[in-house]
Amino acid sequence: MPAANTMPDLRAIRPPEQSTPSSGPADAAPTSFDPAYIKIRDFNFFYGTNKVLHDLTLDIAERHVTAFIGPSGCGKSTLLRNLNRMNDLVDGIRHLGDILVNGHSIYDPLLEVIALRKRIGMVFQKSNPFPKSVYENVVYSLRVAGRSRKSELDEVVERSLRGAALWDEVKDRLSDSAFSLSGGQMQRLCIARAIANRPEILLMDEPCSALDPLATAKIEELIHDLKREFTIVIVTHNMQQAARVSDHTAFFYLGKLIEYADTKLIFTNPSNPQTEAYVSGRFG
Amino acid sequence: MVWITSMGLAVGLTMIVFLLGMIVYNGLEVFWPKPVVRLELKEGSTAGVNNAPAFGGEIVKTQAKAVQALAADGSPLPSQREYQLFVGNKDVYGFGYKFIDNAKIVSESRPPGVVVAERLEYGNAIFIPKQFTLADGSTVAADDSGFQSTFERLVKAGNERRAEIRRIERDQIGDLNRKFDSIRLARRAIEARGGEPTPADREKLAEFDATTTALQAEYEMLAAKARELRALQDANHIVYTTLDGAERTLPTGDLIGFYHPNTLSLPQKAGLFTHRFWSFLSREPREANTEGGIFPAIFGTFVMTLLMSMAVTPFGVLAAIYLREYAKQGVFVRSVRIAVNNLAGVPSIVFGVFGLGFLVYFMGGTIDRLFYSLSLPTPTFGTGGVLWASLTLALMTVPVVIVATEEALSAVSRGTREGSLACGASKWQTIQSIVLPASLPGILTGLILAMARGAGEVAPLMLVGVVKLAPTLPLDTIYPFVHFERKFMHLGFHIYDLGFQSPDSEAAKPMVFATTFLLILLVVCLNLGAILIRNYLRKKYRSSTF
Amino acid sequence: MTNFEEEIRALKDEILAMASHAETAVSRALRAVVERDIDLARTVREDDTVLDQLEIKIDDTAIHLLAMAPVAFDLRLITVAMKISQNLERVGDEACNMAKRITDLAGEPEVAADTAIPQMAKLAINMLHESISAFVGRDPALARRIIPSDKEVDAINRELHRALSSFIAEDPGKITRCLALMAISKSLERVADHATNIAEEVVYLYEGQDIRHVKNLKG
Repeated sequence: MPAANTMPDLRAIRPPEQSTPSSGPADAAPTSFDPAYIKIRDFNFFYGTNKVLHDLTLDIAERHVTAFIGPSGCGKSTLLRNLNRMNDLVDGIRHLGDILVNGHSIYDPLLEVIALRKRIGMVFQKSNPFPKSVYENVVYSLRVAGRSRKSELDEVVERSLRGAALWDEVKDRLSDSAFSLSGGQMQRLCIARAIANRPEILLMDEPCSALDPLATAKIEELIHDLKREFTIVIVTHNMQQAARVSDHTAFFYLGKLIEYADTKLIFTNPSNPQTEAYVSGRFG
Repeated sequence: MVWITSMGLAVGLTMIVFLLGMIVYNGLEVFWPKPVVRLELKEGSTAGVNNAPAFGGEIVKTQAKAVQALAADGSPLPSQREYQLFVGNKDVYGFGYKFIDNAKIVSESRPPGVVVAERLEYGNAIFIPKQFTLADGSTVAADDSGFQSTFERLVKAGNERRAEIRRIERDQIGDLNRKFDSIRLARRAIEARGGEPTPADREKLAEFDATTTALQAEYEMLAAKARELRALQDANHIVYTTLDGAERTLPTGDLIGFYHPNTLSLPQKAGLFTHRFWSFLSREPREANTEGGIFPAIFGTFVMTLLMSMAVTPFGVLAAIYLREYAKQGVFVRSVRIAVNNLAGVPSIVFGVFGLGFLVYFMGGTIDRLFYSLSLPTPTFGTGGVLWASLTLALMTVPVVIVATEEALSAVSRGTREGSLACGASKWQTIQSIVLPASLPGILTGLILAMARGAGEVAPLMLVGVVKLAPTLPLDTIYPFVHFERKFMHLGFHIYDLGFQSPDSEAAKPMVFATTFLLILLVVCLNLGAILIRNYLRKKYRSSTF
Repeated sequence: MTNFEEEIRALKDEILAMASHAETAVSRALRAVVERDIDLARTVREDDTVLDQLEIKIDDTAIHLLAMAPVAFDLRLITVAMKISQNLERVGDEACNMAKRITDLAGEPEVAADTAIPQMAKLAINMLHESISAFVGRDPALARRIIPSDKEVDAINRELHRALSSFIAEDPGKITRCLALMAISKSLERVADHATNIAEEVVYLYEGQDIRHVKNLKG
């Protein structure tokens, strides 16, 4: 009989998930993940006359982590910011096509942008806590929504900070300025702030790019927990992070969607050679 | 290269230090009690006062003689000196200061018994007391053991009585006058309606008459009491001789305070210095602003600066918020900004003229016509006052606040704003909760600059509400407590008035320096206050370090 | 060429070297058996250490490359290389086992069934060779073609086993020789299995499909 195998079997086989269809070579057509919480349909986006997003169609699954990857300038951040219409702040923008959240178009003229943003939380690349205390940072979304009962706010603060794995570290200094925290803590505070109002969707734009590996690891662990409750879309430059953290990955290049599939597939056997080249680090 | 820049700084600093030092020294030196000398003159000299053989006063200045005598061979003699003396006793001499050539002095002495007394009229008196002549006819001689205590007792009693008289006349009788005035206006209101008076009117008029009679009776009583007190003020007299030998008599009620300049110890001098400085700050002016204190000017400057700040801040901040946050950045906004910046360069007197024409005549006139028609033709708001002055200066300093606020608003990072919007806040909520609080230090900087500029401007004020002597303060205990229509006094204007329009320029000189010193002190205090608030806010809202 | 790509190339070269060694070992072992060459048998056994060392070296290179967190093709290449090296090392062990049997065969009269052994060996060595060619030539189709041959080899082994068993029943004196031949046959059957494993790994590497343990492919 062959000698005992001293090497671990690296090709660990996971039973195929019920929600994902074939793991065969996928083309650029949308992979539909059910239930699709965010549907992007033939979405084109212009800065003035400059078209930066071309005919994007993809579904983002509920309570999963979807990663947007691609080289600089490929449009992944632009698409992310369109999901909560933060791009409305820029002058001269135009769009064609539609984005639907839970079946409703976010561009419906009857929909108030502010109401949309209350249902979608956003975490930015450079953490941006407000110049207020930790407590006030977390409850900011509630205060702007008009809720100010102290018992409710206290409960939200504890829940959100626990959810962001920050409670034990700051529970004794809730009234200290947010700037007295470390970099990683500040970003987790921003996450706590984003989830305080229990949004359905959490958008994260390169949340760990300014953090050290330990803080990054904490936040990645956090994302694993958060996806039980929230639908998460994360933009990242870090291949390994996308591979570690996300369920589905979408690869963009020059404003087009090149490939969108299970993360496992994208990183073991992508079907598009451009995807292969990018994830292997050969361009971008 | 370093030394050129540091030299520039050194030159600037030296100039500032020298200027401030000179003002502080000259300003404070006025209050330091100086010895009084008695000068004996050469035989037959007419250099003194009233051709007396001796006279005396405080040495104010020692300088080289203006006109140099020449020696026999035509070469100039070595420099001679002359004193400028403050001789006081303006009622005796007709002047307060005198130059005396040192060559004409035989001897100098400092008689210990000399007294310098502050009094109601004619400025300070310098004399050697002889005796007190009391109301009952008895006398207390100067060498009497009880003389000093009597002196103190009488002066104190006189001060108390004077305060009492003032209370009666200003407060109580003033109150009556106001009541008279309101009845008069009410009567006029009825008359102005015209036609036959209705029974209700007749009843009212009857009531007015009754009240008038009662008030009149009260007035008589108070006036009598005041007269009585005034008589008491004149009851006792002090008899003294001036240093040149003239003998005078003065009612003790005219004395405000006194001291012996030549026998004071250092702590006593310091105490006196503090006392004089304090009365300068807290008392009211006398003798066409050459005597007494400048409290109304300090208070008026303070109130006006405060009102100006309260007016300029909301206008400036709101305008800056609109320009920076809401307005579409294009040609229009750029030209508005240019216009605002140019406004900062307009000479202040132009603002004064605008204030006069628009605020005082147009707006004030309209207000008078609408609300104070009964008082016409005496203008209430149709003339200069603390409100119009504050608004004029607010208009002048608004560009500074707008520019500083805009800078502070744009310094709030985009990331912070985006974070707020992503939380579902509206633009206004973002401005209100995040941007404005974080901009407060910058806004306060603008306010500091505005206050500094506004507190120092004099030219526009002369047209819109500052007077040489104001009988009342713009803020007092009478309803409605803040009197926007009143004219007020201002430190800057006070300096101008003292320096250029006072009858006795020598007497005014120390006051000018002292007032200048106070104005600088006031502005420094206002600025320090704002700086402290700004530092506190900066610590509270400091930005992240990474 | 980046540092990473150079190391990948080194890995591929090591696999090729190991494959060539393994093929040689099996060929030599067969020739030693057929020609009763004791010295050659000893050489085969001694040279097995080379294969052992190569397996360790390849695993080491692979681990080093894995630490650079490769993905997609590179990742598959490295894991496949580790598997191939494992299989090749076992091929070497089987060659050793074959060479050991020679002492049992030496000096004994030939058995008619001896002819089946070379036929099996030819098939097995060919399968090994082709699977490595598929690896080098990026030819998953070639690898797929190899896989049915395993059945053939299995059939020959079963047939030989049956024949040798009846020989033993007929003539118990031949038992040593027959058992040795059975062992050699088994070894060759296992070499064919390892070649099949390598072919399956090559298909996974180039097509991304895991075809192990799928019954219909083996025919």
